[in-house]
Amino acid sequence: MIKAIAACALLMVAGVPLFAFADESAAVSANPSLSVIARAPDFTLRDTSGRIVSLSDYRGRAVLLAFIFTTCPGVCPLISQQMANLQANLKANGLFNLKANLISVTVDPETDSAAKLREYAASYGADLSGWRFLRETPNRTKPVLKSYDEWTRLLPKGEIDHPARVYLIDQQGNIREIYSLAFFNEKQALIDMRALISQPDRVDSKH
Amino acid sequence: MRLARYNTLTSVVLACSVAAAFPALQSAAETCISPYIKALKQPEKVMYLWALPATVGEGEDFLAVIDVSLASPTYGKILQKIPVGSSGNEAHHIGFTDDRTKIWAASLNTSRMFIFDVGEDPMSPRLVKVIDNVPQLTGLTGPHTPYAIPGRMLISMASGPDGTGPGGLAEFTNDGRFVASHNATNNPYETVVKPEFNRMITSTWFPQKTWMTPFDKWDPSTWSHPNTLLVWDLKERKILQTLSSDNDAVMLAARWMLKPGARYGYNISSAGNSIWMFKMNDDGTFSYNKAADTGAGCSPADLRQSPDDKYLYLSCFMGSEIQAWDISDPEHIKLHDTIQGVVQPNMMHVTYDGRRLYFTNSAISSIDYSPRYSMQLVQIGPDGRMKLDPNFKIDFTKAPEGPARPHDMLLN
Repeated sequence: MIKAIAACALLMVAGVPLFAFADESAAVSANPSLSVIARAPDFTLRDTSGRIVSLSDYRGRAVLLAFIFTTCPGVCPLISQQMANLQANLKANGLFNLKANLISVTVDPETDSAAKLREYAASYGADLSGWRFLRETPNRTKPVLKSYDEWTRLLPKGEIDHPARVYLIDQQGNIREIYSLAFFNEKQALIDMRALISQPDRVDSKH
Repeated sequence: MRLARYNTLTSVVLACSVAAAFPALQSAAETCISPYIKALKQPEKVMYLWALPATVGEGEDFLAVIDVSLASPTYGKILQKIPVGSSGNEAHHIGFTDDRTKIWAASLNTSRMFIFDVGEDPMSPRLVKVIDNVPQLTGLTGPHTPYAIPGRMLISMASGPDGTGPGGLAEFTNDGRFVASHNATNNPYETVVKPEFNRMITSTWFPQKTWMTPFDKWDPSTWSHPNTLLVWDLKERKILQTLSSDNDAVMLAARWMLKPGARYGYNISSAGNSIWMFKMNDDGTFSYNKAADTGAGCSPADLRQSPDDKYLYLSCFMGSEIQAWDISDPEHIKLHDTIQGVVQPNMMHVTYDGRRLYFTNSAISSIDYSPRYSMQLVQIGPDGRMKLDPNFKIDFTKAPEGPARPHDMLLN
């Protein structure tokens, strides 16, 4: 957090305009188009207690799926913080766990042990009843990442580069929205999840 | 307690984290590509050029890989050409997927989409998929610009299923599965998104049947509202407002300003020889006004921007000129510099640092008026002034590079 604030101060000094992202009135849409994009590939991973968790366990519930790693210096803390805000809003709306769930999958299982992930989850106030942090061995994680087109590659300074996406999955296991981490808006995600929950059978037509 | 503390600081930290993590939002940024695409953070090493044979139908369209690394012994040379296995496609625009691992290449005449993998080895693209049945899938024809949105490509499609009438937008997954079509009221040319406002603007040109007809037989009466831009709610995929330019038509390239929070941008009218400004008002509606005349006989073909929102670069297809416009006073833009005598300039590409501008000189085969096809480079000074680089020119008039018509470019 201190690092983030220090970075912010530096950026402000450098004259980088920030107002658009601090603006509470950032546009959201009340009637999102949520076409079926693709079938969400099923996976089986383990939570921070070592229990086996499959995506198909979540049938009947809306799921927001993010790929993160705990040592990520930039976008992962951002998305995890926004998911923490979303968790609070889902709870306030009586949707958390029973109708809407959050899943964070580490793309760096070599570094992110179950204990590290647990600590990371706690630092964001994650309620593990409805927001699970998942991992597996690197060999078992790799095909899961590939199925979501979620490659990783090492940058020259040792950081991990990976696509900056979050997936919204409906009650039938279909991907209904893909968000960019850079422009993720948890208020819009809440609206989208509510839209899925209120119309569990609705699928936007192709034309 | 922990959560509450985070909540207090959320907006500030989010702003900082985004700005720190995504250089595309800062002043040294690659311009004129989707803001969802992973940004190029270093000088370009390789260029991908989408081109077609000079004599249409005689040979395959191809993606060329060009060495643009200044220190390389093969600087300025075509390293390889990847043919697409078919001819007569009319290679036109290309676009990266959001993760920069694939290039989608659109073909105007056959509506085929070609997907190249550039993630595995950026110096050796591989053709991994061809979508042959785009009109059947989408109900639309004439794909113009492939534009990245998260995990998907949004393609501006000029016309209806038979190559006439209004077109729309076609949405595919990055690996080429059709998702949905969204109807437009005009003939979409290009899509530009400002994510923080959830707003998308599409420009317009003409239907497929027009450009597949000899130029002297073009019939503007068959075009659908060629003087309009459409403002969309991106999340809803819904048209919110139609911006009309009165008499200026063929509204081609459009550019939002890059500064986060900037509510305005510009587009060119090819038939009107003009630059137009669109601006979002406080109430969320848009206003639309002519910003400048480019001069009679220009026929603007492409519009590019500097990373700092200070300059626009405009190619005059008929006027054989590239213009630099000073837009530091957004409502009063002025002609800043020109390069003259460059025949038939068309597509341009500005580098991430705003210091170089590559340009090609083929538009579409039915309107090209000079066979002197080439790619050239303009060096841009910190003051936005331009100088043609005498050390970089790829001649596409003859072998080994041609004869070919070079059109759209991407850098990596």
